[in-house]
Amino acid sequence: MHKLGRGHRDKVQQFMAITGSSEKAAVQALKASDWHLEGAFDIFYSQPHIRTVTDSRHLEELYNRYKDPYVDMILVDGITLLCNDLQVDPQDIVMLVVSWHMKAATMCEFSRQEFIGGLQYLGIDTIEKFRDKLSYMRSELKDEQKFREIYNFAFGWAKEKGQKSLALDTAIGMWQLLFAERHWPLVDHWCQFLQVRHNKAISRDTWSQLLEFAKTVDLQLSNYDEEGAWPYLIDEFVEYLTENGIVQRPQN
Amino acid sequence: MSAQKKRNFKIEAFKHRVELDPNYAERTWRVLEHAIHEIYNHNASGLSFEELYRNAYNMVLHKYGEKLYTGLVNTMTGHLKEIARSIESAQGGFFLEELNVKWGDHNKALQMIRDILMYMDRTFVHSSHKTPVHELGLNLWRDNIIHSSKIQSRLLDMLLDLIHRERTGEVINRGLMRNITKMLMDLGSSVYQEDFEKPFLEVSASFYSVESQQLIECCDCGEYLRKAERRLSEEIERVSHYLDVKSEVKITSVVEGEMIANHMQRLVHMENSGLVSMLVDDKYEDLSRMYNLFRRVPDGLSTIKDVMTSHLRDTGKQLVSDPEKLKDPVDFVQNLLDEKDKYDKIITKAFNNDKTFQNALNSSFEYFINLNNRSPEFISLYVDDKLRKGLKGVSEEDVEVVLDKVMMLFRYLQEKDVFEKYYKQHLAKRLLAGKSVSDDTERSMIVKLKTECGYQFTSKLEGMFTDMKTSVDTMQGFYTSQYSEIGDGPTLAVQVLTTGSWPTQPSAPCNLPAEILVICEKFRTYYLGTRTGRRLTWQTNMGTADIKATFGKGQRHELNVSTYQMCILMLFNSVDRLTYGEIEQATEIPPSDLKRCLQSLACVKGKNVLRKEPMSKDIAEDDAFYFNDKFTSKFIKVKIGTVAAQKESEPEKQETRQRVEEDRKPQIEAAIVRIMKSRRVLDHNTIVTEVTSQLQSRFLPNPVVIKKRIESLIEREFLERDKVDRKLYRYLA
Repeated sequence: MHKLGRGHRDKVQQFMAITGSSEKAAVQALKASDWHLEGAFDIFYSQPHIRTVTDSRHLEELYNRYKDPYVDMILVDGITLLCNDLQVDPQDIVMLVVSWHMKAATMCEFSRQEFIGGLQYLGIDTIEKFRDKLSYMRSELKDEQKFREIYNFAFGWAKEKGQKSLALDTAIGMWQLLFAERHWPLVDHWCQFLQVRHNKAISRDTWSQLLEFAKTVDLQLSNYDEEGAWPYLIDEFVEYLTENGIVQRPQN
Repeated sequence: MSAQKKRNFKIEAFKHRVELDPNYAERTWRVLEHAIHEIYNHNASGLSFEELYRNAYNMVLHKYGEKLYTGLVNTMTGHLKEIARSIESAQGGFFLEELNVKWGDHNKALQMIRDILMYMDRTFVHSSHKTPVHELGLNLWRDNIIHSSKIQSRLLDMLLDLIHRERTGEVINRGLMRNITKMLMDLGSSVYQEDFEKPFLEVSASFYSVESQQLIECCDCGEYLRKAERRLSEEIERVSHYLDVKSEVKITSVVEGEMIANHMQRLVHMENSGLVSMLVDDKYEDLSRMYNLFRRVPDGLSTIKDVMTSHLRDTGKQLVSDPEKLKDPVDFVQNLLDEKDKYDKIITKAFNNDKTFQNALNSSFEYFINLNNRSPEFISLYVDDKLRKGLKGVSEEDVEVVLDKVMMLFRYLQEKDVFEKYYKQHLAKRLLAGKSVSDDTERSMIVKLKTECGYQFTSKLEGMFTDMKTSVDTMQGFYTSQYSEIGDGPTLAVQVLTTGSWPTQPSAPCNLPAEILVICEKFRTYYLGTRTGRRLTWQTNMGTADIKATFGKGQRHELNVSTYQMCILMLFNSVDRLTYGEIEQATEIPPSDLKRCLQSLACVKGKNVLRKEPMSKDIAEDDAFYFNDKFTSKFIKVKIGTVAAQKESEPEKQETRQRVEEDRKPQIEAAIVRIMKSRRVLDHNTIVTEVTSQLQSRFLPNPVVIKKRIESLIEREFLERDKVDRKLYRYLA
């Protein structure tokens, strides 16, 4: 530890805290990933001896603890109980990541297949293991690729069953949540704009293209291309920003 | 005696050179020299051509060609120098004459000399590559006379001076001029050009530069152009009379450059006399002149065209935006037609039917007609007016002419689908009220629209005509059938309209009077008896009625009213007084329509078959209406209904426009799907371009609307975005 620089030492400590591994394993993983935390996590968890075989009996017990008495699904009450056990706020974004791993179809419910299958994949069969995995799952949001997948997953998950579009209020809530993780300064203006000007549901295309917009276009909108085939809502948003002087765009 | 051998007879050449008398050459030359002198002294008659020719021949034969040639050169030069002196000493005007005369003499002499020396010309001159005699004579003339220092500049100055005088109005000796210039041309084109033409062109340029400057200050545009034209034809005439024909294009381009090209902008933009005022005042002659002059210079015609275009656009813009002019749609369209006629005439009469001008006219009209988004409506109203009454008494050919002109305007419209909507509405009103001047004219218009826009555009309109015809047959059938025993009940005439073809109007049926209901039901039974699977709905907002009314003093009138109005009036058969509220309840006519009907029945002078208390124009809930006993009119038949098509009120206009926008959405989507189905993968901008070009014969789609339709199609999973390049769309089979 003494040979490591201050930055590296911090990372090692973080790694150990999150994964509960030994210092040696931490340093090994970090070195192998060139001192990138996310990469180190991947390496650590993909190591074969870590993928524990889950005990299917435990999984059954776990499922039955949360499942609804009348339906073969985990519903709102069960989820609240789960979050309690995990010592996590039900609004915590980590639950979204959990749902993503489980490939849950709709928010606020898990089917038997989704719950058990998901936990198996994650190598979890007890609440303690579940709790331990949470910080890893949180860290997955920092990965660009995974964040995009989770973001796009969120649309299908958050919308009403049988609807094609996402209700505006829900969408705004999700955006607030997601963009708290991956900071986008214009998110509040975006939500305000939608409430004032649009007031209708959000289409999937608009949802997914918004992330691209947030990633590629800078805050002064100087590289915003009008011919860029952005959804019309985003075009209107740019107009809104310019009209209200929030952004000064060079007039051509 | 010895025998002599026979010898062959041989002729041997001289063993020694035969020497000619050395003086022979000299003597012979002297003879010829003398002859040349005599020729130049006009004494040739005493000479013997044959002897001189032989002498020359001998000289050449005996290899004295060089001497002969040199001698010729010297002798001729000598004479020419003398001639030069005599020309130089000529005074004033005689200079040119002397030159001319001497030139004539020289040519004659040269001819004779050439004849004499022809053998030399053909043999010696040829083999030793010397200049032939004739050409030699010309060159010597050139070098000794024309290029003589005392003659050269004087000659040029004289020529230029004469031309200048002629330009300022004097008469000069053109024959003499011609001879002189011909002389220069004979001496070689470079002589003509260097010694005359080039300086001539320079001098002319400065002459015209000065003149054009003077003229432009004191003349108006038309005058100036007349003068310029005159100068041009003068110069052309001058060339034909005494200059080389090749000079024509050079001098005309000088005149064109100085008088026209240099002052083009100023001329065109001259206040009160320039192009714009010529256009405004239809000055065909001046315009034609301007066209013909300007076409000679680079950018001349495009200058005219540009000024015409911008003037036309301004005028047009005013025509379509001036609120005064927008009050009456028929006038509005008439103004446009008049303007088009005016410019068509100008282009035909003055601009030589030039296609680029025609195109400029078309693009200008297209520009300003579409500035006013009510143009489609107004054009339809104009046609409506003409088809109602405006063309009564006009011959068939003239009708075609008017309609063709209207079609020209129609072609300029970008929003042809808006026109279609209005045309349908207006046509429906005409047909139902029986107000068309002639069925043939209506048909003719439809045919023109079909030719222009294709079958789709007019299929519904034709459907409307078919319905009218079918209805006539249906009525005939009805009255010959069992259902039509009416006794003295009302006579019914029904038009059965196919829903898809006629403009849709949401209508709540009102309560019909009992007598009417009876016959209507009979009709319904009859109709549905022969056609199953159909549903009939009475369109009470579109009908009319003729009612016989007897007033206070027994005067009878026949009132022509709308169906709504008929329902209202029939109520007064049983009571004398009704409030608005009561009428509304009894008839169930929608309030806004009801109010309008009551106003036209009670508040219009000459048509007030009802009396209203209070007398105000506004209608309140408790207002009372009475049958107006005191109604009088000098006509037996009184028309009250509002049936004519009018220009729409603001809210109606909004509604129509909204419907048009709604109709456009599926058309845009269909176009997108068609394009994507064939191209499979396309980027956004290309889709927009293709869609626009596919739909442009009907309307100009808004790119934002196209984008929204694309997104809608993505949502409905007809298309998807490409996973790698978000600007590409893919067709999903």
